[in-house]
Amino acid sequence: MTESDLPKDPADALAAVVALRRLADRLENAAVEQAMRAGWGWPKVAEALGITRQAVYKKHAQRLIAAGVKLRRREG
Amino acid sequence: MNSFDSYLHDVLMRAHQEARDDGSPTIEVQHLLLAVAAEPEPTVRPLLASAGLDQDAVRRALEQEFVQSLSAVGVASNAYDLPRPSRLPSKPAMGTSTKLALDRGFSSVTRKKDLRPAHLLLGILAAQAGIVPRALAIAGVDQEDLAARVHQALTEQE
Repeated sequence: MTESDLPKDPADALAAVVALRRLADRLENAAVEQAMRAGWGWPKVAEALGITRQAVYKKHAQRLIAAGVKLRRREG
Repeated sequence: MNSFDSYLHDVLMRAHQEARDDGSPTIEVQHLLLAVAAEPEPTVRPLLASAGLDQDAVRRALEQEFVQSLSAVGVASNAYDLPRPSRLPSKPAMGTSTKLALDRGFSSVTRKKDLRPAHLLLGILAAQAGIVPRALAIAGVDQEDLAARVHQALTEQE
């Protein structure tokens, strides 16, 4: 997007940032759950997202365990 | 617990549920507004109703705000029909926007015992930018006018 493509009103541009983050968070939650249900391990999910294992584990482990997703060992 | 404390507690419990349903790790001011719109209370809900707002109307406006904000940068919100992610089991933390609304609501009184449920709504309505003012505008609500009427109702209560 070039600068001229920005919404005219800064309020719209800033609100779009918030909305995109929310959309990305939703997509991340769903995608990580899908991957873990498909048997991916934390290191591979972390590598795919370009973040550390610790970060992905911290963000998603509790939720997935509560949802009854069978997780591979953290190291696996 | 006095009546304001118990109102605040009940509202925060509802907001907490809204945040979880939303898959949000934090309670944001839009969750607080949804909670306030649903919490049975003799002054706050009628004030919202006078502006045409109940919880469903707030929810619809918030959803529309999301769709519009994405479309402003060329993203269709229905581009992904995402499955509902599993909900976070832990308690969502208080988000910055909620803290700001609470601070603004609380700072409108000098003595804590003077706090009324409507002060919480006043704190939410003090937002100058962000999702809430945009959603209110979408719902056709004059935010300033509503805030003035909440203020008026508080003055009459004293």
